[in-house]
Amino acid sequence: MKHLLQASIILGLATTPAAAADLTVVTAGDQNMVDYVNDYLAPLFEKENPGAKVRVVGTGPGDAGSQKIVERFDAQAKANADKWDVDVAVVHEKFAGPLVADGYLEAYKSKIPSGEMVTSEKAKLALGANVDGYVMPMFSSQTAIAYNPATVPNPPKSYQELVSWAKENPKQFGYNGIKGGASGVSFVMGWIYAFGDGDATKLMNGPFEEAETKKWDKAFASLKDFTTNATLTPGNAGTLDMLSRGEIAMGPVWVDMFYSWKADGKLPPEMKLILPAPGMPGQPMHYVIPAKSPNTELAEKFVALATSPKVQADGIVKRFNWYPGIDAKFVQPELDKASWDKLFVDITPDDLASKGKPFPIAPYNKAILEAYEKNVAN
Amino acid sequence: MPKRLLALLLVLPALAMILLFFIVPLAASIIGAFEVGDRFGLDNFAKSFDLYSSDMIFTLVIVAISTALIGIIAIAIGGYLTLGENPRAVAVLRWLYRWPMFIPFIVVGQVMRTFLAKNGLMNNVLISLGILTPLQTTGFLDWRGIVIAFVWKQTPFVTLLLAGAMASLDRSTIEAARNLGASRMRILIEIVLPQVAGTLLVGLILSFVTMMSVLSVPLMINAQSPTMLTADIAFRINAHGDYGVANALGMISLLLTAGVALIYLRHSVKERS
Repeated sequence: MKHLLQASIILGLATTPAAAADLTVVTAGDQNMVDYVNDYLAPLFEKENPGAKVRVVGTGPGDAGSQKIVERFDAQAKANADKWDVDVAVVHEKFAGPLVADGYLEAYKSKIPSGEMVTSEKAKLALGANVDGYVMPMFSSQTAIAYNPATVPNPPKSYQELVSWAKENPKQFGYNGIKGGASGVSFVMGWIYAFGDGDATKLMNGPFEEAETKKWDKAFASLKDFTTNATLTPGNAGTLDMLSRGEIAMGPVWVDMFYSWKADGKLPPEMKLILPAPGMPGQPMHYVIPAKSPNTELAEKFVALATSPKVQADGIVKRFNWYPGIDAKFVQPELDKASWDKLFVDITPDDLASKGKPFPIAPYNKAILEAYEKNVAN
Repeated sequence: MPKRLLALLLVLPALAMILLFFIVPLAASIIGAFEVGDRFGLDNFAKSFDLYSSDMIFTLVIVAISTALIGIIAIAIGGYLTLGENPRAVAVLRWLYRWPMFIPFIVVGQVMRTFLAKNGLMNNVLISLGILTPLQTTGFLDWRGIVIAFVWKQTPFVTLLLAGAMASLDRSTIEAARNLGASRMRILIEIVLPQVAGTLLVGLILSFVTMMSVLSVPLMINAQSPTMLTADIAFRINAHGDYGVANALGMISLLLTAGVALIYLRHSVKERS
């Protein structure tokens, strides 16, 4: 089956015509990622580089989208293709490590001016794998607890406080478990960071040790207890939906979704966010350039533009409510106060630095999800 | 001999289709359920029971309750269509009951999600009628929501089969009972039902199998724990890329439906002999 797939991909490649100045950008993620490049980034780039033409291909949302990009690279590497048909790819954090390990990527961060503006640890370590130099973060996404100040005047500032709040307000906290999207997953990971008996930094940075996975029993027992007092929502959007109808007063959400919903009038304007201590995970998406890209120079220019403070301000922060991939202090001068305030008032840059955690490295990630199903869900 | 060959040739396309698109994938899935790395074993099943035993029971209970309710409602509607005395009411019911049949499961899930939510349409209507206060409302987006969605969607299908069978009954038995003074309820239970029991059983079994395989409704109404096996299978593949346990779960739900299919086969064999 896999061979058949690879064969068909290679066949597809052979028949794709590639003009010299065509820059092919492949992106994982929802349609908004494709729109972002098509409607905003590509016209900007084509204006700055006359003659260049940007083609963008979306590979679909979630890990599956990034997986397709990896498989495409695999196929071309196995076919010993001299030049691959991708110039720039946008992948989820989880896949950056394996791509670097396979030697598929070019180390370009130091070659472009915005490379120095990246300060986040997440651009050096991707779920425990060293990717320093090979990736430029496109944006950073973060989860946080959304609440309605009308019903919750003093929101809990830590997981500890949240537990007692949920006890006093049964069924008023809602999250989407682990099957309905990553905001619930993130909440569970944060729970283990907060209450697991092991070392949370080890979960984030590795190395993986089997013994570490045995230290979560107490945390899961309390999470099960907590969950019976909480409402389970049907998904990332489901949590926002129930918040907007007032069926729950509080719940974990993706920050960018939260602001987009608010901008569309689907959430009451007074809703707020808080990032409880010790923190919740978020993840970046990374720009990568294959080592065998046909237009390496143009590709570098493209990423340089995409990670420049101006584009990060206009495109990433203002249009999509994502946190910038480069250090926010370079982005602030490019932003009007309203846009800056919108993104950074509830959760300050300091909060983000201290409580915006990475997800656990892949093997712990998997172990936590399975332990959740075993101990909490079953 | 050439005639036999010709016959074989004629069957071949159909046979190839079944082999290629049904038997081979099924076999691959069954083999995959036992594959652990590069050896064979029961690890996938052990894990399935470890993680999802409550979901298995949940699935079976949900589908069983739904099937029972579908049966009762279908009998009630079919019975009224056959024995009802108000021609206008019968006509209206006949026209109305089939509608949900033409609505896809995913749409049913979506409709029910907004209808049954805590502050959804249903509770809002009840509140504005003064029947409930806002504090008394509860959402039905749990197992009850799934049952409601299933019953709403599958009842017309069973009713259609059942009402058809009832309509083709020999009316003289009903008339005879009526002449002797039997109530309509009694006629339904003692005269009509026994004659259409086979059709009812077939309809319910088909519904059971359909409901076992629906992913969209549990995903939209209650994808949390406990949930139905279909949601677990999707999760195993989407989140973990774990086809082994997904295959094992698939086989378990296959065994659950096989139990029902066995009843069906026994019944049809008995009927023929």
